[in-house]
Amino acid sequence: MAATLKPFMARDTNGKHHKLLDGPFKAFSVYSLAILVLSIPIYFLVIDWIWVTEIDDHHEIIMERIENRFDQVHVSDKDLETILNTWNTLQPSSSITSLNNLNAKPDSVYEVTKYNEYEQEWDRFRGLQSVIEINKKPYLLNIETNVEEPYETIFAIGLITLLMYGLLVIGFIRLNKSISIKVWKPFYLTLSKLRSFDINEGKQVVFEESEIEEFNELNQTIGALINQNINAYNQQKSFVANASHELQTPIALLKSKLDILLQKESLSQEYADLIQGIQLPLSRLTRVNKNLLLLAKIENSQFGDLEKVDFLVLLDKSVDLLHDYIEERNIRFEKKIGDFETVFCSKFLAETLINNLLSNAIRHTPVSESISVKLSNRVLTVSNSGKHKLEEKALFERFSISTTATTNSGLGLAIVKEVCKQNGWTVGYGFQNSIHIFSVQF
Amino acid sequence: MKILVIEDEKELATDIVNYLSSGNYRCEVAYDFNSALEKISLYMYDCILLDLMLPGGDGFQILKELRSQNKQDGVIIISAKNTLEDRIKGLNIGADDYLAKPFHHSELAARIHSVIRRKQFDSSNLIVFKELKIDLLSKTVIINSLPIVLTRKEYQLLLFFVGNKNRVLPKSALAEHLSGDVADMFDSFDFVYAHVKNLKKKLNEQNYGGYLKTIYGTGYKWETP
Repeated sequence: MAATLKPFMARDTNGKHHKLLDGPFKAFSVYSLAILVLSIPIYFLVIDWIWVTEIDDHHEIIMERIENRFDQVHVSDKDLETILNTWNTLQPSSSITSLNNLNAKPDSVYEVTKYNEYEQEWDRFRGLQSVIEINKKPYLLNIETNVEEPYETIFAIGLITLLMYGLLVIGFIRLNKSISIKVWKPFYLTLSKLRSFDINEGKQVVFEESEIEEFNELNQTIGALINQNINAYNQQKSFVANASHELQTPIALLKSKLDILLQKESLSQEYADLIQGIQLPLSRLTRVNKNLLLLAKIENSQFGDLEKVDFLVLLDKSVDLLHDYIEERNIRFEKKIGDFETVFCSKFLAETLINNLLSNAIRHTPVSESISVKLSNRVLTVSNSGKHKLEEKALFERFSISTTATTNSGLGLAIVKEVCKQNGWTVGYGFQNSIHIFSVQF
Repeated sequence: MKILVIEDEKELATDIVNYLSSGNYRCEVAYDFNSALEKISLYMYDCILLDLMLPGGDGFQILKELRSQNKQDGVIIISAKNTLEDRIKGLNIGADDYLAKPFHHSELAARIHSVIRRKQFDSSNLIVFKELKIDLLSKTVIINSLPIVLTRKEYQLLLFFVGNKNRVLPKSALAEHLSGDVADMFDSFDFVYAHVKNLKKKLNEQNYGGYLKTIYGTGYKWETP
């Protein structure tokens, strides 16, 4: 089953159509990008705020500790000076300097950018400045701590965010795929069944029960629709068969009456011409009707008498029957026979196939041109001269080639196609170097 | 010669009777199964024309009944059902020929002629028409004791003409006779003209009575006074 399922084999090569899940995927990606980008300044502000408050707290703690320690330890003024000198030399991040005026500087918290000689760069510093009393004298305590620069923080956050976004998108793509495969499996099952559906076969389509309600509903609706179509198609088919069957008797009567009329002794030339004029359309009517009946019979597989059929024999027989018509049009006829095995099929249908292909070629070959028949390697090829390429699609359809020529029943090639279909053969048409080539592969 | 036409389509039955009666045939008609069964049981016919779909029963049943009574009447099935199976079934049960509708009356007449000829024990292999002798076994034609050489198609045409004396035969009927079913795939039957012309020429060379006439624009006629 998996082999027939190709959910990702895009049919939309023109780029106009998208997979159903591509829409949400795009929206999710854009939305998450927006949110993540927005989160960068928020993260930065929060982190910076935490930094700064934490450092300020820390500074305060240090300040209080220093004050307390100096209070508890009674140092002489001389010692104090030595200590402070040593302190200020060893601890440049905090300094204690004596103040002459007690109120000279207020307590403050500040931020400053200084050149760092050790790292040779500008650094941001957070500082606390406060006046403390040691030995009843005012001292200015200054504590500074290096804070992370904003651009560094933003860079780090941005980098992480980008990485996360990448992970998110990869996750989306993967999820999208696996969801698509899982969720859409019943859909593609239905699709592949519909694709292989052929109304000519008259077979109903059986959908598997799906766990998903929507798909079950879809399958049921499609199933009902298909059944309706099959019914309508069958009715149409039997209508054609019935109609042509009913036409047989009137046609036989018409033909009979014309035959009788022709025998009249008093028949003038004028009337004889009129009868002739009736006979041509009548024979076309006969032909069309006969072929419609035949088509209906082939479609209903009413030819079950299968046997080993020697196409060489049938071809010779057909050529013999058609010999007069070939000669009448002064057509060069060529027969090439290679290795060809017998084919297991209905002899009548095989005859019909050959007769139809040959008579089609004879009718459409210009006078004095040529026809070539080749039978080898399980392929029958009938080629005849022609002027223009025919439209292959319409060629094998019923009544598709409208022509004023009464010779054409419009059904000959449709019968060929139907015979091939019933037997699983392929019929093809090609046009090369002003030659129509019809081939049947057995 | 007695012919029984078993055909439910009255118009068609009448036409067949009309066409055949002016030959050497006396025709009886049965329109349904029961009257047909009655007639075949009571009388003998040289040839019976049998339609398969009859009111009241199946034509095959009549054929079976006829053969079970050991009657040797010639039987030609005339049916709209032109399937191989019906054809084979009919011939197997004992029909002498099978002609699908629609047909030319001339074709029917030729078939009747041929069936009756085969059923006659005395001179079954020889048709004699005035100075003309046709040997059906060796397929040779002799005029005034001199053999003439005919092609297969000319020979078939000659038999067809002799089986349809004094009848106007349209070219399409001759073409159908020569090429059977494939004839109705074409509208032009000019080749018939060529064959008839050759036949006429060969017959004329032996000074036959000049019975074969061309009816301009219509076809041909084998005329006998």
